[in-house]
Amino acid sequence: MAEVSLPKKSLPKINKVDESYWKGAAAGKLLLQKCKACGKLQFFPRVVCVDCFSGDIDWIEAKGTGKVHTFSWVRVPRNPAFKEDVPICYINVILDEGVIMESRLVGKGIDNVKLGDKVKVAFQETHDPGIKLPVFELAG
Amino acid sequence: MRRKKVCFVGYGSTEYSRKSEAPVLWYYAEAIRNALRQTGLHKKDIQGFSVTTQVSPDYSPHVAEQLGLEVDWVLNGDYGGAGGVMSVRRAADAIEAGHVDLIVLVGGNSFDRSTPQQRLLEYQRANYVDVYGYGGPNTLMALIQRLHMAQYGTTLEQIGKIAVAQRENALNNPQALFRAPMSFQDYLNSRMISDPIRLFDCVMPCSGAECVILASEERTKKITEKLVYLVTDAERSHFQVANMLPDKTTFGMKVVGERIFSEVKREDIDLFEIYDDYPIAVMIQIEDFGYCKKGEGGKFVEAHDLTYKGDFPVNTGGGELSVGQAGLAGGFLHIVEALRQLRGEAEGHQVQKAERALVTGIGWLNYGRNLGTTAALVMERRK
Repeated sequence: MAEVSLPKKSLPKINKVDESYWKGAAAGKLLLQKCKACGKLQFFPRVVCVDCFSGDIDWIEAKGTGKVHTFSWVRVPRNPAFKEDVPICYINVILDEGVIMESRLVGKGIDNVKLGDKVKVAFQETHDPGIKLPVFELAG
Repeated sequence: MRRKKVCFVGYGSTEYSRKSEAPVLWYYAEAIRNALRQTGLHKKDIQGFSVTTQVSPDYSPHVAEQLGLEVDWVLNGDYGGAGGVMSVRRAADAIEAGHVDLIVLVGGNSFDRSTPQQRLLEYQRANYVDVYGYGGPNTLMALIQRLHMAQYGTTLEQIGKIAVAQRENALNNPQALFRAPMSFQDYLNSRMISDPIRLFDCVMPCSGAECVILASEERTKKITEKLVYLVTDAERSHFQVANMLPDKTTFGMKVVGERIFSEVKREDIDLFEIYDDYPIAVMIQIEDFGYCKKGEGGKFVEAHDLTYKGDFPVNTGGGELSVGQAGLAGGFLHIVEALRQLRGEAEGHQVQKAERALVTGIGWLNYGRNLGTTAALVMERRK
């Protein structure tokens, strides 16, 4: 009998636009896009600067620190494969560079998370050895 | 912009069901049939056709063929939950421009699993949200609600009051899936889905459809004596898109509202059919429209009676929260309920003075902000 295939946790479908971002993450770097024309930073990765529309975009490494802007304890994830992890602390982080990033808070002390708490990036392994996810931990 | 010559001719609805697996095409046909019956029109009178859905492949030309419609204008009105209002705007443009004189617009959904899901809801941004165990719209609105509560001191009592008042409105609406009374305690005790969003903050997905017919004034007068005009309408897609530190608690409805209320007065609106995928979304839209200051939506709902009998009637048939959300028909439900009210046909939940209604639609979740599409219209009954 064929094995029942269980749903797997979602992984990024890496494409030409965000290849650099995911390579960076696999190497332990959190990358943001920086417009060469106007200097603005942006996240998530796109083919143009959403501010000045220039297509001339660079990557910079973020410090990986920021604070919790808002969060939700997810009990019903869209992909059922994440059910084993619930409740999941899904967060919006304001990076020190001034950009909102959506991610997940993991590690010690997260049960008492509050808005404004300082966080730092960590890179979580996935079931694909080539892919790591930028997540956040409370910065002690 | 202020509309002059476009009217709502009529509407049709289907029953809502959590179990039915009738094809979505059946639902469209049923809603259209009911609208034609109401107006005495025939299939051959349909000159233009618009469909709003996430389940039929190829959308409008395909659906028109399936339903045997030979038309001179079609539209895929898929703008998320704003699809009702935004499709009506485009249809009104086509009528004003003289392309066609009468357009049928339908929105619907069904759980028919034999319809191939050819268009996957695969957004580019899925790479940056789904990988973290995202809970979809529930999580998006939870992030917004937590921020609203923290920044402005908004309470669960205030947010819950919206859901409770809408349930009271639904008690006498035969279309509503939920017609049992609900107390604030029931709301509070409902299970947590994506904290602080609870089960009774969420809509019930279901099968169903809604249909609206729009025509020129001249044509409308030959069909019905109940003249309901589209007075003014506006939309904004991707408010704050280039802002990397957006205000998550303000929707594009702020810009939409400024346009709407440059044409009509806030105090002249008798009833509010506000897209209610969540109670917090209703509260934020009330703020964005300037009925109170940003952050004072909680106090505002506390100070007003939101039922159909009240001084600020909101979602008078129960809204999507109590009626159910038949996919993108959700964006049409509010238009149809406004028409029922303005035509004096809202039996059991009729607002006493119902001459002018504000209808909104919001949809299309986006990254780090809130909603991609926001739209509103005002309709008016004239004797």
